[in-house]
Amino acid sequence: MKRAITLTMTLTRDWMKGTTPSSSQGLHTTIKRIISIFTGLSYNLIGIVLLLGIWHVVSLVTDGELPGPIATSSVFWELISNPVYDYGPNDKGIALQLYSSLSRVFTGFILGSIIAIPIGLLMGANSFCRKIFYPIVQILKPVSPLAWFPIGLVAFQSASDATIFIIVITSLWPTLINTAFGVASIPDDHKNVAKAFGFSKWKYLTKVLLPYSLPHIITGLRLSIGVAWLVIVAGEMLSGGMGIGFFVWDSWNALSLEKVISAILIIGLVGLLLDRVFSYLEKKVTYSI
Amino acid sequence: MSYLKIENMEIAFNSLKGKFVAVKDINLEVEKGQIISIIGHSGCGKSTIMNAIGGMVFPSKGKVVLNGKEIKGPGPDRGIVFQNYSLLPWLTVYQNIFQAVDAALRNKNKSEKHELSEKYLKMVNLWEHREKYPKQISGGMKQRVAIARAFAIDPEVLLLDEPFGALDALTKASLHIELLKLWNLTHRSKTIVMVTHDIEEAVFLSDRIVVMNNGPAATIREIEEVHLPRPRNKKDTVNLPEYKIIRERLLNLLIEKVALDESEFYKEERAA
Repeated sequence: MKRAITLTMTLTRDWMKGTTPSSSQGLHTTIKRIISIFTGLSYNLIGIVLLLGIWHVVSLVTDGELPGPIATSSVFWELISNPVYDYGPNDKGIALQLYSSLSRVFTGFILGSIIAIPIGLLMGANSFCRKIFYPIVQILKPVSPLAWFPIGLVAFQSASDATIFIIVITSLWPTLINTAFGVASIPDDHKNVAKAFGFSKWKYLTKVLLPYSLPHIITGLRLSIGVAWLVIVAGEMLSGGMGIGFFVWDSWNALSLEKVISAILIIGLVGLLLDRVFSYLEKKVTYSI
Repeated sequence: MSYLKIENMEIAFNSLKGKFVAVKDINLEVEKGQIISIIGHSGCGKSTIMNAIGGMVFPSKGKVVLNGKEIKGPGPDRGIVFQNYSLLPWLTVYQNIFQAVDAALRNKNKSEKHELSEKYLKMVNLWEHREKYPKQISGGMKQRVAIARAFAIDPEVLLLDEPFGALDALTKASLHIELLKLWNLTHRSKTIVMVTHDIEEAVFLSDRIVVMNNGPAATIREIEEVHLPRPRNKKDTVNLPEYKIIRERLLNLLIEKVALDESEFYKEERAA
C-alpha cells in the first residue's frame, strides 16, 4: 500500500517535471495533501471493517441472537430514510428523537456552564473561594447522574425537566474544574506585567485572565458536552416520553435489537460530531507561545 | 538629597524553615539620570533589590525612597523590563505596548496613547512588526518590545532585570546600543537600574556598578564608579584603558573565590 503511494508520488513528480515547471511545486504539495488525506481515511476504513467483521462473527456465534451488520443495516437505513415522521407518542422518527435529546442536552449543558464558569473563575482566582468550594466539588462530582433523578423529579415535578436537571448537575464539573485550574495556573510573569503596569481589574480580567484560561475552559466544555451526551441516554431511559434514550428502551421493549444497535451507532456518531466541534473551538482559541 | 535612596534595607521572606534573609544593610543613593548596575552571583539578592524599587516586594527593615516619597507598591513612575520578556502571548506586539500604556497613563486620552505606542515602537524599529505575535519574532525583538513598553509609559526610573541574559552576544551588543539610544532620546533624564551578571555589559552601560556579596543575607560589597566618556560605542569604549581597569577589578571581586579554591587544589596536588 505504502509502496503504491510512493510510486504514484514519484510518477506524478516525473510527469509534472515534463509539463509545468513553474507551478509544479504548488500542484505537487496539493497532490501530497490529497494522498495523505486518503491514507488517513483508509486507516479509518480498516478500523471500521475490522469492527464490522468482529460484529458479524459474534452474530454468527450467537446464532443470530445478536443481529449482524447486514440485518441491522436495513433497519438502520429504514430509520434514517424517514427520519421525521410522527405517528403518535410512541412512534416518532429518529431525527425527532435526536432533536429532543439534543435540545435537552444543550439546555442542560448551557445552564451547567453558566453555573460552572463563574464559580471556576472564582475558585481559580481566590484561594478563599477555592477552599470553600473544594470539598463541595469533591463530594458531589463522583455521584452517578441517575442518583440525582428523584431529586430532580421532586424539585421540578416533570420528568423532562428532571432530565435537564441531571444534565446540569453532572456536566458542570469538568468545566468547573478546568476553569479553576486554568485560572490558578496563570504564570507569575503575566501577573507581574499586570501589577507593574497597573492594569485595572477589568483589564486584568479581559487581557490576562480570560485569554490565558480560555483554552482550559473550552477543554472543560468539551469534556462536559461529552458527559452530557453520555448522561442523556440513561436519563431518558428513566424519564421516558421522547428522546434517543427513550427510543433505545422502547426498541428493547419491542424486541428490536436491530433498532437498538442502530441507535447505538447514531449516538456514537452524534457524540463524535459534538466532540469534533469543541475540539475545533479548542484549536481556535489556543494561542501558541 | 538624592533622587532614589535605599536606606538600611533588609528583605526577608517567611519560608517553611523560618525567616530567610535575602539581603540586608543595603544603602544606596542614585542621582537622577544615572545608569546603575547591580552585579553579583546567582542568588545574591540582586533581583530582590530591584523588585523592592519596583514595589513588587517590601523591605522588612528600612525603606526605599523615590523623589522624597517612600515606595509602597508598583506605579507608573517606574517601568520594568522583566528577565524573560514577559510579553502577553495573545496580544500583538502593538497591543502589548498599547495595553501597558493604556493601563499606566490614566490621564491621557486614547489618541495620545496610540501616538505614544507608535512613537516607541518606531524608536526600537519594530513598527513593521506591530501586527505580529510574540511567538513570531526573535528573542532580541521580544526584548526590544519589552524595552519599548517600559519606556512608553514614560517612567522616571527604568528597572531592568537581567534584560539581555537570554540573548546571544551579537544581539546583546546591538541592544546595548539600542538602550543607550533610547536613554539619549529621552534626554538622559531617566534613571536606569539594571541587574546583570555580565561584567562587560555593566561596565559599558553604567555610571556606577554595585557589586554584591554572595547570599543569603547578601550585602553590598563595593560600589565602582565608571567615568567612561559618553556617548559610548562598542568600538572605542572597550579599548579605553579605564574600561579595562574597571573590568579587571570587577573580575577580581567576583571570581576571587574560584581562584582560592584552585590554589587549595594545587596545594593538595603538590603534597601528594
